[in-house]
Amino acid sequence: MGALEIINFYLVPGIVIGSIYALGAVGITLVFSILRYAHLAHGDLATLGAFLALGAVTLGGVSPYVALPVAMVLTAAAAVMIDKAFYAYLRERPKIVTVMASLGVALMVRAIVQVVWGVDSETYTRGIVRPDVWFGIRLRDRELITIFAMIGLVLALHVFLQQSKWGKAMRAMSDNPDLALLSGVDNKKVVMLTWIIVGGLCAAAGVFLGLNYELKAMMGWTMLLPMFAAAILGGVGRVEGAVLGGLIVGIAEEMSTLFLPTEYKAATAFAILLLMLLVRPTGLLKGKVL
Amino acid sequence: MSDILVMRDLVGGYGDANVLQGVSMRAAKAEIVVIVGPNGAGKSTAMKAIFGLLKVRGGSITVDGTEITGWEPNRIVEAGVCYVPQVSNVFREMTVHENLEMGAFLRTGDLSAAYDRVYTLFPDLKERRKALAGNLSGGQRQMVAMGRALMLEPKLLLLDEPTAGLSPRYMEQIFQICRDVRDTGVTIVLVEQHAKQALAFADRGYVLAAGANRHEGTGADLLADRDVADMFLGG
Amino acid sequence: MEWIGLANYAVFMAIFICIYALLSLGLNIQWGFTGLFNAGIAGFFAVGAYTSAVLTSPAAEGRLGGFDLPVPIGWIGAMVAAALIAWPIGKICLRFRSDYLAIATIGVAEIIRLVIKSEDWLTNSARGITDIPRPFGDLPYVYSQLAYLAIVASVLFVAYLMVERQIAAPWGRMMRAIRDNEDAARAMGKDVPFRRLEAFIFGSALMGLGGALFAHFNRTITPEAIDPMIATFLVWIMLILGGSGNNRGAILGVAVVWIIWSMSEIVTDQLPHEYAVKAKYMRVFLIGLMLQLVLRFRPEGLLPEPQGTRAEMSEKSK
Repeated sequence: MGALEIINFYLVPGIVIGSIYALGAVGITLVFSILRYAHLAHGDLATLGAFLALGAVTLGGVSPYVALPVAMVLTAAAAVMIDKAFYAYLRERPKIVTVMASLGVALMVRAIVQVVWGVDSETYTRGIVRPDVWFGIRLRDRELITIFAMIGLVLALHVFLQQSKWGKAMRAMSDNPDLALLSGVDNKKVVMLTWIIVGGLCAAAGVFLGLNYELKAMMGWTMLLPMFAAAILGGVGRVEGAVLGGLIVGIAEEMSTLFLPTEYKAATAFAILLLMLLVRPTGLLKGKVL
Repeated sequence: MSDILVMRDLVGGYGDANVLQGVSMRAAKAEIVVIVGPNGAGKSTAMKAIFGLLKVRGGSITVDGTEITGWEPNRIVEAGVCYVPQVSNVFREMTVHENLEMGAFLRTGDLSAAYDRVYTLFPDLKERRKALAGNLSGGQRQMVAMGRALMLEPKLLLLDEPTAGLSPRYMEQIFQICRDVRDTGVTIVLVEQHAKQALAFADRGYVLAAGANRHEGTGADLLADRDVADMFLGG
Repeated sequence: MEWIGLANYAVFMAIFICIYALLSLGLNIQWGFTGLFNAGIAGFFAVGAYTSAVLTSPAAEGRLGGFDLPVPIGWIGAMVAAALIAWPIGKICLRFRSDYLAIATIGVAEIIRLVIKSEDWLTNSARGITDIPRPFGDLPYVYSQLAYLAIVASVLFVAYLMVERQIAAPWGRMMRAIRDNEDAARAMGKDVPFRRLEAFIFGSALMGLGGALFAHFNRTITPEAIDPMIATFLVWIMLILGGSGNNRGAILGVAVVWIIWSMSEIVTDQLPHEYAVKAKYMRVFLIGLMLQLVLRFRPEGLLPEPQGTRAEMSEKSK
């Protein structure tokens, strides 16, 4: 097999799915490091975002790229409401209780998607898109847009966290929560801000997954494991680590089909997760271990 | 003389046990007050009680005439009290300058004067303002912690064992900075393990034992006291 | 429906309640007494079901076995297989907070599902394993059902007694000490990860046994026999509602939740087809909501853990 085939059939799809994982993993890493629990409803929140965009596409007749920001806003609002309804009152209890609540929320969100949109696969647009060829490398527009949108969103988040007052407050809360409270940071605002960002990123991950593959009620849940693997691989709390981890997991999954039956793509993420926990739980970029 | 801090007959502790069994103290404006005592005497606990970090069951705490007993920590910060814990007192993954910014989180308006003041007090920090606080030496981290607290321009600064684990050179430097800060009109209350050095440098001191007041007086008087000497200095 | 039909249905339900009670007891060892979050219950269940099926079914073309071994050997095999899967996962994850175990167990359940679905030589993939022997399966229907109920009830009773004894023993006190104050337990020289590993393996073995009992009851096992998310989640809500840390609560919760779950199915089955599908998901939604309500308003469950064994768990929050 030539280098071009490897690039076209394994590397490019790996980078595309890796970008999608990266969007989810950034959210997971923020929740893990700031709110301090593993959020198991993360994938299903992405599913919700994808289907909200589908709603905008079918009802409003707009293109999925116009529906994307709409879905991001709606999913962010949903995330804030879920936190207020189901997580906020568990704050004083051991964090693992919130993990359990999030498992319940995962089921509830998915059930809502199944009731509203049914269980059949859907797509945003019909018909086959022919890829453009650049020096032998075949790329579809939606693939390029996925990759650049991921980069753009992560850069915007990076600037926010590094430069803005509340971005710094989020980092401070992740770094040393007691001292952040002693400095007068209002924890409730940080929690809400985190959910707004995380909800928006979830929706973006879901929409791009739906755009490049298809929309299914289980789409987000099956992404949960690779997203967590990516966040832990990069180092919990490291935004740039989550991006790196997402790309590595995505590429590794696609490459694994060279050696393993396609069904076992998901096993690659699991293997990466266990390997990291075994040899380097802080991840590639030295994150936290809770 | 106006008292910034007045603590009366404070009773309280963690869970059900009362570590503090009636502690009283006061601190005047621009005064350094040191709390010393054997391990388990309730020194740090008394300080945390001021900051609302534990259950107070009796007595009262007043800051600059306002009673703050039972307030949430963030309101106490707004009332002009800053607290520097003994451990994990910096944001390790943020730069020195960002640590100072976090200290001024509640302040609005132009902060350049506040930064200038802190960087004048701690010239070392100015040089390393872009370094991550976690990469600094122990003494420098202590300076970041104090600088962070001073950014709010507090009336009352609470320091929990600021010299623990530091070399004598840094200890002297921290004490000197405390004097400089006091001279700008800030009241400082600190808990110290190094009783002898601390009493020598403080304006006044309290000796706690078993959760209650044992002695109080000027640093020099306490150093001369027979009982105090037996507790820490002679033995 | 006459009363014979109702009685038959009651026996059928009772058998399912006993099987789920084994899962709930297993989870109680892990979560209730030790604080371990297992989100892959269905995975251990499936491993047990398939292991016992392969061991005890008659020889078949194109897949491993069957070995036609006696049923009790199959059940022991189911427990051993589930324990063997639990061991490496626990070994890796139990050094960390339980969040990591939650993620890893979701992963392991997913991998088990993939293996079952795609490995023809092992599990006959989608066609599943048939001809699994059922003890007293040759008796007329009613007697056969009653006999199987007696068997699962006895297995449950023995498991309950063993768990109760273990929990009352110094081992149980130590586990609770670790759960409620890990640092103190560590300071007293307890090997915390090893003790947790024991609890994780014991609990998983019970889940494997539950799977085996299920497979022999149905006489067949296919990948579609159990929806992994819903099964796992049902066991969780059973334990939390019943009262985690209390074995009787764990069993009571199974009965309550299973009856609600089955009754709601009867109701939704009466609906016209297009609503019936949606109603199924509404039931899932409501069971998720039920967990939230229990966590919020009655976190200790219907039968709380006996006083004195439970130090305030909230003190541990980080």
